[in-house]
Amino acid sequence: MFIGTDKLTHTYMPGTPFASAALKSISFSLGRGSFTLLIGPSGSGKTTLIQHLNGLLKPTSGKVYFDGQSIGPDKSALLSVRRRIGLLFQMPEDQFFSETVFDEIAYAPRNLGLAENEIEESVIKAVERVGLRPKNLLGRHPFQLSAGQKRRVAFAAVLSIEPEVLILDEPAAGLDPSGKLMLFDLLSRLNRTEKITILVSTHHLDEIAALADNLLVLNGGRLEMAGKAREILARRAELQDLGLALPQVTEIMDELAARGLPVSTDIYSLSAASKEIIRLKRADQG
Amino acid sequence: MAVLKAETIIEAKALYYSYAGEGEDSSPALNGVDLKVDQGEYLALLGANGSGKTTLLKLLNALLMPSQGEVLVKGISTVEAQKLELVRQACGMIFQNPDNQIVATTVEEDIAFGLENLALPSQEIRRRVDAVAGRLGLTHLLQHPPHLLSGGEKQRTAIAGILAMQPACILMDEPTAMLDPFGRFEVLKTVKDLNKAESLAVVHVTHNPAEAVEADRIVVLERGRIVADGKPEEILTDLKLLHKLGLQGTVAAELADLLRQEGLILPAAIMRNQELVESLCLSEQIS
Repeated sequence: MFIGTDKLTHTYMPGTPFASAALKSISFSLGRGSFTLLIGPSGSGKTTLIQHLNGLLKPTSGKVYFDGQSIGPDKSALLSVRRRIGLLFQMPEDQFFSETVFDEIAYAPRNLGLAENEIEESVIKAVERVGLRPKNLLGRHPFQLSAGQKRRVAFAAVLSIEPEVLILDEPAAGLDPSGKLMLFDLLSRLNRTEKITILVSTHHLDEIAALADNLLVLNGGRLEMAGKAREILARRAELQDLGLALPQVTEIMDELAARGLPVSTDIYSLSAASKEIIRLKRADQG
Repeated sequence: MAVLKAETIIEAKALYYSYAGEGEDSSPALNGVDLKVDQGEYLALLGANGSGKTTLLKLLNALLMPSQGEVLVKGISTVEAQKLELVRQACGMIFQNPDNQIVATTVEEDIAFGLENLALPSQEIRRRVDAVAGRLGLTHLLQHPPHLLSGGEKQRTAIAGILAMQPACILMDEPTAMLDPFGRFEVLKTVKDLNKAESLAVVHVTHNPAEAVEADRIVVLERGRIVADGKPEEILTDLKLLHKLGLQGTVAAELADLLRQEGLILPAAIMRNQELVESLCLSEQIS
């Protein structure tokens, strides 16, 4: 197990009349280098779970593991966990506080006590990794950037300390279609070529479902399903009962199958759908 | 036979807006926009990040004032400071993040907030709050603290607060971006119903082509200018235009396009999933 939980339970405001159980005995494990999607309706506990994986919350009971160690109260161990696991919150640009893009991205490396030239190096490297050009950008005020640029700056701020794991909460919300595709390409590249372990919490499976190895489904604080993405996505009726939407392209394939066309419905991206339909049409002809 | 012409609710004339303090390389956020929105019209506003959609919406709601040109809301210019209340009452705004727009400690107080600011008599406030809550299915939640609501319920509470002001138009800036599929469905259905049943004009900024399908008309912005204005079936199937702007057509239109590139013969105007499925069930041709 690289990262995971064992019977993790979290109760907000325990012992008060307002006590509410956000996570109920959650156990799962994810391998190093894997790409996982965390899905579930609003209020199902996704954000609470993510905060535990980064040591931001303390379990009411149960444990969180990272790289063979339990994430515990030991402060120095926690610091190393946060250095190795990068967390990108929802709408991360809402939390910008620096005067320049450079300072925003340099915040974490600076806190790690790096020398000024090392800080600059990690800032430039991080900016380039997210596909922005440092030259025109680093001196600007973060609020002067477009939404897509801001999101990438927020991403660079997390990448600046070179985490081994990236946890992202609804990272594409508010991005335009090309911004979304760029983000998914970036996630795919970080995962496939740089072997970064990725966990994405999202409501929208379009295109990103095709990148995932694993899927975790939360509902009402319970881990309803966990396993290989394809196997869980095939459990259509259960997903529907939870009010979760499949990728639209998958809905099209399901509809074609329902109309009697012998197509595979194990399809989660436009390119896969196109290949499958063309295969069918060629087979018809041949 | 008399033809009733719909009343113009919003009119933007030669609208320019420039954010102060931007670098010298930046062009104005809005660069000469002319736009009319009629009573009962559902307008979707598309455009890449940074194209000026949110800026335009803020100008329509008098949150920003034009650098040049003007915005008329029911004939009132947004720069007429003493009539600002009338403008904002006629045109309410829903933001992307429901948590950023809820101000009160219960749903009913939140719905009543705008009305209290208008200094209406309390019986009238009570009547309107109950009426809109009933209309939007929020009656059972009136005493609830808003932070315990789902995302969809929060957005509907915000819509109720606007509806209580008896507006002519509702402006929405990506109102479903943070919602789960059920919340998204809930909000879109609510707005569509109000648009049809009460002739409420809607200006809906979205990045999701599937949401724009339901509009009467789509306006596309690029770098602060309107570059396309037409029916959903024209705009959302014009992939050449959309891709050039960093946008996408509906999933059905995109998939149809990929299939055509592989030699499949399909009708040009495929926008909805159902249309693609029908065509594929019929078509046997491949070139």
